[in-house]
Amino acid sequence: MCVANAVAAKASVCSMTNTEYADYFALFGLQSGFFIDDKALAATYRELAKDAHPDRFVNASAAQQREAVERAAQLNDAFQTLKSPTQRALYLLRQQAELPEETTIEDGEFLLQQMEWREQLEDLQEQADLAALAEFVRELKQARSAIDHAFAICIEDSEQRIQAERLARRMQFLDKMFYEVRQLEERLDD
Amino acid sequence: MQAVRLKIRMALLQIAEPGQSPQPHQQRLAVGIDLGTTNSLVATVRSGIAEALPDVDGRVALASAVRYHADRIEVGRSAREAASKDPYNCILSVKRLMGRGLADVQQLGEQLPYHFQAGKSHMPFIETVQGPKSPVEVSAHILQALRERAEATLGGELVGVVITVPAYFDDAQRQATKDAARLAGLNVLRLLNEPTAAAVAYGLDQQAEGVVVIYDLGGGTFDVSILRLSRGVFEVLATGGDSALGGDDFDHVIANWVIEQADLSSNLSPSQQRDLLGIACAAKEALTSEDVVAIEYAEWQGQLNRDTFDALIEPLVARSLKACRRALRDSEVELDEIESVVMVGGSTRVPLVRTRVGELFNCTPMTDIDPDQVVAIGAAIQADTLVGNKRAGEELLLLDVTPLSLGLETMGDLVEKIIPRNTTIPVTRAQDFTTARDGQTAMVVHVLQGERELVSDCRSLARFELRGIPPMIAGAAKIRVTFQVDADGLLGVTARELGSGVEASIQVKPSYGLTDSEIGGMLKDSFDHAAQDKQARALQEQRVDAERLLETVRSALQADAEALLTEQERAVIEERMSALETVRKAEDINAIARHIQQLNHATNEFAARRLDATVKAALAGRQLNEMEG
Repeated sequence: MCVANAVAAKASVCSMTNTEYADYFALFGLQSGFFIDDKALAATYRELAKDAHPDRFVNASAAQQREAVERAAQLNDAFQTLKSPTQRALYLLRQQAELPEETTIEDGEFLLQQMEWREQLEDLQEQADLAALAEFVRELKQARSAIDHAFAICIEDSEQRIQAERLARRMQFLDKMFYEVRQLEERLDD
Repeated sequence: MQAVRLKIRMALLQIAEPGQSPQPHQQRLAVGIDLGTTNSLVATVRSGIAEALPDVDGRVALASAVRYHADRIEVGRSAREAASKDPYNCILSVKRLMGRGLADVQQLGEQLPYHFQAGKSHMPFIETVQGPKSPVEVSAHILQALRERAEATLGGELVGVVITVPAYFDDAQRQATKDAARLAGLNVLRLLNEPTAAAVAYGLDQQAEGVVVIYDLGGGTFDVSILRLSRGVFEVLATGGDSALGGDDFDHVIANWVIEQADLSSNLSPSQQRDLLGIACAAKEALTSEDVVAIEYAEWQGQLNRDTFDALIEPLVARSLKACRRALRDSEVELDEIESVVMVGGSTRVPLVRTRVGELFNCTPMTDIDPDQVVAIGAAIQADTLVGNKRAGEELLLLDVTPLSLGLETMGDLVEKIIPRNTTIPVTRAQDFTTARDGQTAMVVHVLQGERELVSDCRSLARFELRGIPPMIAGAAKIRVTFQVDADGLLGVTARELGSGVEASIQVKPSYGLTDSEIGGMLKDSFDHAAQDKQARALQEQRVDAERLLETVRSALQADAEALLTEQERAVIEERMSALETVRKAEDINAIARHIQQLNHATNEFAARRLDATVKAALAGRQLNEMEG
């Protein structure tokens, strides 16, 4: 017998098991689309959580309690998916058609931009200049906002599917950049 | 749903004027318990008012100390006071041992005088005149004393309790706390994070809306939580802290200052040290209301003024503020959204702490409720809600988060995070994995907790095996690993091979947990080492890629080399393989990448021929698997 450690499949799908909610937008009473009312989403989530949370079932049977945990977890997942713009974009794409497991969509234009940002980030790391870092964050946010607006249009047009996927991938890259900026901020905060 | 409707109906049927609570005898008795390191408290809601319950002498705090006599067990202040004359049978600060293994406990060694022995499942047992006692049993005696106090005061049996735990408590420590409650005959409605309990204590009276910070500076630990309050829902947005920072450190800096001023040697005996720390603590307390305090130690006499004291503790306070800023970033709220700051823990009585915290968050910290009682009071309110004493619409809901990331080990000593820290619980997340080798029929699932990238830098929570995977080529099996964290913050993991349906699961209940300093250290490390980790991760990924490629080429050679390659071609491929084998073990990422490329290049032609052969065979009506065979 051959026993090895788990290997992360390249096609690792981060998904819920048996998602009960067919449409997250409908669940929260929202119009389907990329731009949503964040406040309404959060408010509806809290109202739904009041009924779904396991704290409402402390006197119920063990089976009902397990079910409550499962339902609350699904609700939390639906909320987190819509709350994050990137996850929301991927969700919209998946609703239209399965996303390819492994893809190499060419995006030469953005690739150059990516490399430029990476270099900038490395320079900032050496300079330890908080003002310059803030300026860099502003630039990233602007880029992010442009991508968001472009995506909102593409997702409504089935002929622009490839471009929508490309934009979603750009969002994922920007999320990674923001994460690295956060880590740099932490290190500089001494 | 059913239960909720029923509860609402019952509430509607209760005859009570608006604003008036149901009669006491109709109430289901429920209490909140703050099971602390130094002191423990029990509180309940009576006639709509939450209050801590005092003992017969009027004291609300029960010293968290247990003394074992040959024929009886003593709990409380007298047990603590006997500690110096009967050190082995008086157990203090047992909270620090909860959910820990013998090895963890021995690290605390010097500070603890007890004789430990290993029990079943590595749990440490303390030897006493009544035989070996586990930390869970010792805690159970404290809970038992509080239970008796509550039942005597309230005149009936308790339906349920809410027990508070530090937000940073890991899985093992939570389990141990629950076990202790069960042993004390208590029905645990919920384990509640201490900062969340404090928010509840304030939130109910004031019907607050908005973002609230809970700043909890205790004797030995610091916790900060950021919550959003909205119409009875408490949503924890982020938690953080520094598990090696507390009021005791203030005492130490004063003690060191005295040693310096008095020109004493710092090699004091343990009892001299205890005396000096006692004097330092008294000075600290006096300085909350006085501007200057006289200190006498041995032959030395002097004065400590507020300014000097502030300067001494400034770096410690700054550390707590740093943790606040980090939690704030995690929560993604802006500073100006912060509505109020709730102060918890005796150390928040220090004026400089209040000033600095007020400056950071730009508001006056809330100190109306006794910082030593606020956690127990919040727990009592939540217990009251959970047993159904609240009328519809008055119910509170707490949405808590995971304090540390949870993940599992993947090839190359790497951690794949499944649930990131500060995710709202309960939560279920699944991710798909595959096998690494041809014909692999079992897989180890190694569950880890922490923020770092490498397995060796995270804490191992559990390990189990999924067996009976049907033999397939590497990468063909699809194994879905599901993590579920329930509302108490406890983790369960399931692994399932999707093709065959074979399944294995574990309720994570390790025999020991993280030490406080480990948790603090792990969080700190993840930021300090981010760059280094990235490098390590990239290297490991290259190594894994290399290993996979070698595995693929090896099995291809075995199957088709004879038919499709000349001796010479084969020799070239094998040479590149062994070159890659060699660089794979070294640290040079670029060299590995280069050799991967070279081996890929060398096998291009071979791959093309294999594809051709497969197509031909298929066209000839042969089964593909005969080719693979």
